[in-house]
Amino acid sequence: MAKPKIATAWLAGCAGCHMSFLDIDEAIIEVAKLVEITASPITDFKEFPAVDVGIVEGAVNTTDNVEVVHKLRHACKILMAWGDCACFGGIPTMRNMFDKNELLRRAFVETESTAKGRIPSSDELPRLLDQCKPVHNVVKVDCFVPGCPPSAKAIHYALVELLNGRIPVLPAEMMKFD
Amino acid sequence: MKQITLTVDGKEVKGREGDTVLDVCQANGFDVPTLCHFKGLTSVGACRMCVVDIEGERRINPACTYPARDGLVVQTKTETLERYRRLMLELMFTERNHLCMFCEQSGDCELQKMAYRYQMDNVRYPYTFPSQPLDPSTDAIAVDHNRCILCGRCVRACAQIEANHTLDFSKRGWKTMVAADLGQLLGESSCTLCGACMQVCPTGAVFSKLSIYKGRTAECQKTDTVCPICGVGCELRVFSKDNNVILIQAPEPAQPRGALCKEGRFGLLRNGHLRVASPLIRDRHGRQSESTLDEALEAAAEKLKAAGRGSTAGVVSSRLPGETLSLFDNFVRDVLGSDCIDTCDGRSFRVIAQGIKQFHGKRKGLDIECGAEEILQADCILLVGADPLKTHPVIGALIRRALDERKAKLVVVNVERDVFPLWSTLWLKPRAGSEGAVLSGLSKSIIDNGLVKTKKTPAELIQSQRRYWTEEPVHSTGVDPEKIDAAARMYAEAENAVIIYGEGLLERNDSNLVTLLLNLADLTGNQAGSHLRVLSLKPHCNSRGAWDLGIADKEIPRGKVNGLYLLLGEEQGSERLQSWLRGMDFLIVQASYQSPVTSMADIVLPSPTWAEREPGEFISMDGRIYESRPVVSPADGVLQDREILVRLSKKLGHRLTPR
Repeated sequence: MAKPKIATAWLAGCAGCHMSFLDIDEAIIEVAKLVEITASPITDFKEFPAVDVGIVEGAVNTTDNVEVVHKLRHACKILMAWGDCACFGGIPTMRNMFDKNELLRRAFVETESTAKGRIPSSDELPRLLDQCKPVHNVVKVDCFVPGCPPSAKAIHYALVELLNGRIPVLPAEMMKFD
Repeated sequence: MKQITLTVDGKEVKGREGDTVLDVCQANGFDVPTLCHFKGLTSVGACRMCVVDIEGERRINPACTYPARDGLVVQTKTETLERYRRLMLELMFTERNHLCMFCEQSGDCELQKMAYRYQMDNVRYPYTFPSQPLDPSTDAIAVDHNRCILCGRCVRACAQIEANHTLDFSKRGWKTMVAADLGQLLGESSCTLCGACMQVCPTGAVFSKLSIYKGRTAECQKTDTVCPICGVGCELRVFSKDNNVILIQAPEPAQPRGALCKEGRFGLLRNGHLRVASPLIRDRHGRQSESTLDEALEAAAEKLKAAGRGSTAGVVSSRLPGETLSLFDNFVRDVLGSDCIDTCDGRSFRVIAQGIKQFHGKRKGLDIECGAEEILQADCILLVGADPLKTHPVIGALIRRALDERKAKLVVVNVERDVFPLWSTLWLKPRAGSEGAVLSGLSKSIIDNGLVKTKKTPAELIQSQRRYWTEEPVHSTGVDPEKIDAAARMYAEAENAVIIYGEGLLERNDSNLVTLLLNLADLTGNQAGSHLRVLSLKPHCNSRGAWDLGIADKEIPRGKVNGLYLLLGEEQGSERLQSWLRGMDFLIVQASYQSPVTSMADIVLPSPTWAEREPGEFISMDGRIYESRPVVSPADGVLQDREILVRLSKKLGHRLTPR
């Protein structure tokens, strides 16, 4: 049997979850023996092939995030959310407490270090959504590994569960939101 | 109370009539999840985490408000219940901004623990992302409404522990907010900063600004000790980490003596005084300079030897434990050969003791006074020359609770101001110095109006009391005689009337005033067992202990001594003490903090702080005995007070053995 394929995506988040994935240390060799990692911020392959498991880090914050997460959803059989941003919205959703235009002005025009700033408006650039959302508010998510970041142990646990044909639900003692 | 039998999860269990279903479940070891419930506070059923299935009920019910009764069949852990509990949790998370990664309470949060328990790895409902205010306006407590789940624990703690009713809910429905007074910032409200709300808050909504980001309670060492400040004797649970005190809480906040005050909870964490870091010796030029401990002890010994036996007095702080006080007593009497010994607050004791002696005709001591719990049973409180909100805030909280729970009447006798504005029923404002006439007036009014309640014959009583009466007519005291009659009636007609008096009265230095108060209680039969319902607010945490040891029995005669050994501990030394010290030839001070007194001293020896001090015994103002425990190890070069006394005695050729 061919090795199951995995693709990962990084949306509005800090990459901490991917770092935590690398933190599983030598267990990553074991994981690499069992699965094939395709497109991922780690491999830098951009297009998602058809995979068994899609993994997403970060909240959905821009039109680009929406596009990527839809592509990944279509490409994978099981979609797993990594980290508080993907599972709950997390830190990027703090912007939801402010008006979007006010926020853009603050970031691009009113920052103390900015002179003659303007809000970028090229069609090439993705647009900020009205609200930043957890991934399952945009596409169906099959399993969640919360944590900021999720511990290497939790990530390892979730992957092994999937490889054994089970949808992982973290046990209470492995849950950590911070 | 009648025993009842219920069936919980198929098991037959016992409870008592008056229990809620939750009480029975918890007493029998069933783990029913709760968030808004807090042991000792009333239950309100706000969070719905404790929902249970009760046979015969149409719907699920919160266990915390459902009265248990004989024969109830209760399910606590069905799949439906667990589903609803998780649903409630998810709704709580959507209602405000519960982002754990930058929350101060993450790791100590009951909401977070509950989410872990229910393996809440996502929230199925849309978040509301409300923009909630943060109120950092006090110097000790901050309120972040983003974290609030509206469980109402803080509101109930404010009403039932501190009885101050600062916090309450404003608005309705999903706009509901916890508000201080009429929506003021907490720092501009009537908040007393007792911190009860902070301790009971299950999330990071109410937190201490002095403890934030210093560590989780699970990483801390916990030490139960006694508050080192006033005479109330509150128990403290002190959290420390890396030899630093981080957080102070009450071990049982909702118990009758579980309240703490601003000073006990926050003041101890933020002492603005500079430590005495090293021994100091004053040189020939009058400058204090640092020295080694041995040099300082040598210098002290020389001074004491030069002065000769019996010419040095010893004064000690009654904030120190009994063991230290007792050794100091030995030190002064045996080593210094002096019978001149007193505590910093000794005068108060002599006024009280003499007043009690006059009442009894014999020296029965402070045992005649009642316990502070009596305040909670009081339906009338006579507050004479005391300002508990300033000096003994926890007593203030107990008084407010009596006003709340017992609808007690409060009569304030104070020459300056109504110390309980908004709360007091009557304020008698005598001219300074004519308190005696007002108190005599109360006695006379009780007798004249036939309100005497006692087994003794009134004639006998009046005979024994008359000699303490002041003949100054009531109308010259500045108090309306009708007010005195009204106060006398309130006091005499109450079932359990408690008299509380304090420094304001004692500073008149007139023991007759104390006798008059005891007579008032005697006249109206206000006795609880062998105690009279009278309580004096003693200034320090071990005043009673020091006084019981006899340290403050006699005043030090002026002019008899020319040197003073002052074991000051953490006290700063009153102005009165300072003016007395100015007349001394030499002064040796053992103190924890720098103060005007230490700057007057010829030799200063470092003393540990409350958190560093060796274990010891303290007696609260109403006679409870407490054991203190060290929280952290002493700062470098600081020895225990007793060790210093032992070493100094050795230099003077005496062997002082701590018991």
